[in-house]
Amino acid sequence: MSEQKIADYDLKPGFKGMATDTGSDQTMFKGVHWGKAMMWIFLLSDTFVFSCFLISYMKGRASTPIEWPYPSEVFALEVFGVSVPLLLIAIMTFVLITSSGTMALAVKYGYEKNRKMCGWLVLATAIGGLTFVGMQAFEWSKLIHEGVRPWENPFGAAQFGSFFFMITGFHGTHVSIGVIFLFIYAYKVFAGHYDTGKRGWFTSMKGDYVEIEILGLYWHFVDLVWVFIFAFFYLW
Amino acid sequence: MEEIKKKEEQTSTHKIGIYLWIWGLLFVLSFFSYMVDWYNFQGLLRWSLILFFMFLKAGLIMAFFMHLFWERYALVNVLLWPMTAIACFVALMVAEGKYTLFTRLFYFFVGGQ
Amino acid sequence: MSDEIDNKQSILAQSSETMNEYSGSKAADVDYVRPAEVPDQDLYHGHSFITKWVFCQDAKVIGVQYFLTAVFTGIVGLILSWLMRLQLGFPGLAGFMTAEHYYQFVTMHGMIMVVYFLTALFLGGFGNYLIPLMVGARDMVFPYVNMISYWMFFVAVAVLMASFFVPGGPTGSGWTLYPPQAILEGTPGSGMGILLMLISLSLFVIGFTMGGLNYLITVLQARTRGMTLMRLPLTVWGIFTATVLAMLAFPALLVSSIMMTLDKVLGTSFFMPTILKAGEVLEYGGGSPILFQHLFWFFGHPEVYIVALPAFGIVSDLISVHARKNIFGYRMMVWAIVGIGALSFFVWAHHMYVSGMNPWFGFFFATTTLIIAVPTAMKVYNWIITLWRGNIRINTVMLWCLGFIVTFVNGGITGIFLGNVSVDVPLSDTYFVVAHFHMVMGIAPLMVIMGAVYHWFPLVAGRILDEGLGKWHFWITFLGAYSIYFPMHYLGFIGVPRRYFEMYDSPYMTSAIGMNEFISLAAFIVGAAQFILIYNIIKTLKTGKPAGKNPWKANSLEWHTSTVPPEHGNFGDRLPVVHRWPYDFSVPGAKEDFIPQTTPPSEVAHTEVEKT
Ligand code: HEM
Ligand SMILES: [Cu+2]
Repeated sequence: MSEQKIADYDLKPGFKGMATDTGSDQTMFKGVHWGKAMMWIFLLSDTFVFSCFLISYMKGRASTPIEWPYPSEVFALEVFGVSVPLLLIAIMTFVLITSSGTMALAVKYGYEKNRKMCGWLVLATAIGGLTFVGMQAFEWSKLIHEGVRPWENPFGAAQFGSFFFMITGFHGTHVSIGVIFLFIYAYKVFAGHYDTGKRGWFTSMKGDYVEIEILGLYWHFVDLVWVFIFAFFYLW
Repeated sequence: MEEIKKKEEQTSTHKIGIYLWIWGLLFVLSFFSYMVDWYNFQGLLRWSLILFFMFLKAGLIMAFFMHLFWERYALVNVLLWPMTAIACFVALMVAEGKYTLFTRLFYFFVGGQ
Repeated sequence: MSDEIDNKQSILAQSSETMNEYSGSKAADVDYVRPAEVPDQDLYHGHSFITKWVFCQDAKVIGVQYFLTAVFTGIVGLILSWLMRLQLGFPGLAGFMTAEHYYQFVTMHGMIMVVYFLTALFLGGFGNYLIPLMVGARDMVFPYVNMISYWMFFVAVAVLMASFFVPGGPTGSGWTLYPPQAILEGTPGSGMGILLMLISLSLFVIGFTMGGLNYLITVLQARTRGMTLMRLPLTVWGIFTATVLAMLAFPALLVSSIMMTLDKVLGTSFFMPTILKAGEVLEYGGGSPILFQHLFWFFGHPEVYIVALPAFGIVSDLISVHARKNIFGYRMMVWAIVGIGALSFFVWAHHMYVSGMNPWFGFFFATTTLIIAVPTAMKVYNWIITLWRGNIRINTVMLWCLGFIVTFVNGGITGIFLGNVSVDVPLSDTYFVVAHFHMVMGIAPLMVIMGAVYHWFPLVAGRILDEGLGKWHFWITFLGAYSIYFPMHYLGFIGVPRRYFEMYDSPYMTSAIGMNEFISLAAFIVGAAQFILIYNIIKTLKTGKPAGKNPWKANSLEWHTSTVPPEHGNFGDRLPVVHRWPYDFSVPGAKEDFIPQTTPPSEVAHTEVEKT
């Protein structure tokens, strides 16, 4: 993670360190595992994917002369006869942030080679993710029930439905993929693959707890995207 | 010798406290951004609050949960500079969106009469 | 540098004669290089035919697979261009050709050439083969993912080719796929054709992302000892930067493909405005076609540089090796590549001057576009100064390089015309544009590919391609390509529109007709000349002259592997250690006119090598 030692190399802090790291041989990101660097660059690319989605949404919404539905009302939920705005979304946000926290702790315990804690926390994260997907399915079915479709929308501009289903769908796909991997990794942690360095099923690479950190990066990214979707789609 | 070892252990994984703190902060910030909607702020105030909380949350997740705060600047810079391209794209599409709206209103409604 | 030397005294210098140079008793070790940070890579070695040659994880085999697949699609693109030229030069001669066919051929030709041929060839082909060898790695960092990347590309090509055979045929919307027409009835292939195109593009992007991550991390994190970024061959810099562009630009293509697929399949209206068709209002409404254009060109312009930057990098190396001179202004070249790459994200709407976008954008984008000309021109100057008073070998490789410079300058200058709004408006959608982009991103990179094939074939196959055939190939292609594209500028000036099936009774018909015939004849000849290369390759594989090790006397690591062609793992038991840049040619005082990157300083202490 941070501040490890590298033989015969002076790890300078700050911008000075950036200059020497960039100018040095072998690696530019000192001490960063290949897989982790790869995940970071992938997330950078994925950031551009989501940015393009959100930019399209912004452009679409900004240029429509037809009225845009008021998200606060569309996404309200009736509880005991009272309509609470954005209730479901608030709970979903809560669940996702919770799972992000458990993931962060799983990474920490992974580094401490605490197999039990790490495994349980990864499992908890997976369950949090599953809950999120389930609630999203509920939200979708509620909207569909109310007549919102990708191609039309009784509350105003048709693009509302299109962008909503597309963007939350794409995010939900990311969550689902993450959940699948979380379950697999939880199994691998409990089975001790990362302690013994057992080789992967497909890649035949040796297992290591760094994989938990890599998966953690992905999971936090999914949470990060949700922060933006929450702000731009539900609050705007 | 003992001391060095101890120090290494401390730096290689972070204290649990920091994660719990950030976790708590994220809940609080989410709650605040929810309140923006609850109290139905409108206009510039709504916008600036939404964006403020959004960037704060995103920053916390990236800095601490994704460990960017502890990473070396070489990595951090590589990840953050490309955002200028996004920023440019966003800015131009804001202008483009407004212009499209203008042409639509102009040709469909004003021009149509 | 010097204090680094002072600190380390572990190993003695290898050559005692050079030691006299250094006064003082302390045996400062000039050859010291830091130990390896990362343990040696753990490779999966295939043992069956399938794991060795089909689902192979060796980047070199994957590179050849990419190369062959890309060449296959390229030949399809070439045949389509023949058919188009047949129609344009001799209307009616190809009896089956309708206007619909023509649109479909233009579209498929454009998309194939840009994405499935050039991009795949440069990044997938040359990138896979050369990056690990040139940075001194045993393989790409994630060979398994790399293998999947190729097979995704393969499936993408298969889907693309399948679109020729579906009802309605392939899409005919132009390679830009602009909505609303791309998915509306009336455009050929607006059913399955466009759908398969969008699916194929999405698969391509996903597959490419897997490969691209590998290229980037291999360059950044898996270089050998002593290999700093500023000692990388420019080939690696070009491919690396192009990959960065691809990773950041392809998302826009992916997103626009997904959105258009939804418009087509689900009937959303992301890009579809209200449309009146035969007096009837369609279901669509409220979308923004111009949004698609922005997304497409946010991808499309970097895409141009994804093709150009590897060509820039490769040609720099070829020129340096075959002129026996170090590349002039190496650092400037690197910064120019990186600068062009960065700027290319801020110029996209110069393709949209006539689209009806916000009129202020023209000013912004013309400015940024013209700024890119500065680093680009710097590169051209540097190539020429590298040649200046070099010990030039006029062999096939060098001829292709010279051909590239001429063609690229030509295409670049017309690019400056088109970058200005007021000049572009009358010229856009004419043959002037067709001439421009074929010169700059069609023919010029193609010349580099040819040069690279002649240059690296001895490494891949162990035999040198026939020079005589190579020169025929070059001269026919070079003169022929000029015969095709030079007159097209004139056609553009008299207003011949692009993407037209026929001129009908237009006023410029008479002056364009002879020229079109001439261009078509040249196109047939140039296309046919490419088969000289294929013949040459087959002949050489059978009876060619063995190349031996390092036939061009080059410095970079790929020529200094344990075996030729390199085996899996590239470098035998020990990875090379790098002490210098790859451009130490004709160094005054050196025994030979080249000093490989692995030569330690102590061996060349009497020479005037550059400090790198
Ligand atoms: C022998 C070589 C080639 C010939 C004879 C040729 C010929 C043509 C012709 C006749 C057109 C259609 C022009 C029109 O009707 O508007 C065209 C379009 C195009 N070509 Fe080529 N071409 C060749 C090589 C290439 C290469 C190597 C590239 C790679 C960049 C390329 C990229 C394109 C593109 C992007 C279009 C535009 C397609 C569109 O308008 O949608 N061509 N080419
Ligand atoms: Cu461009």
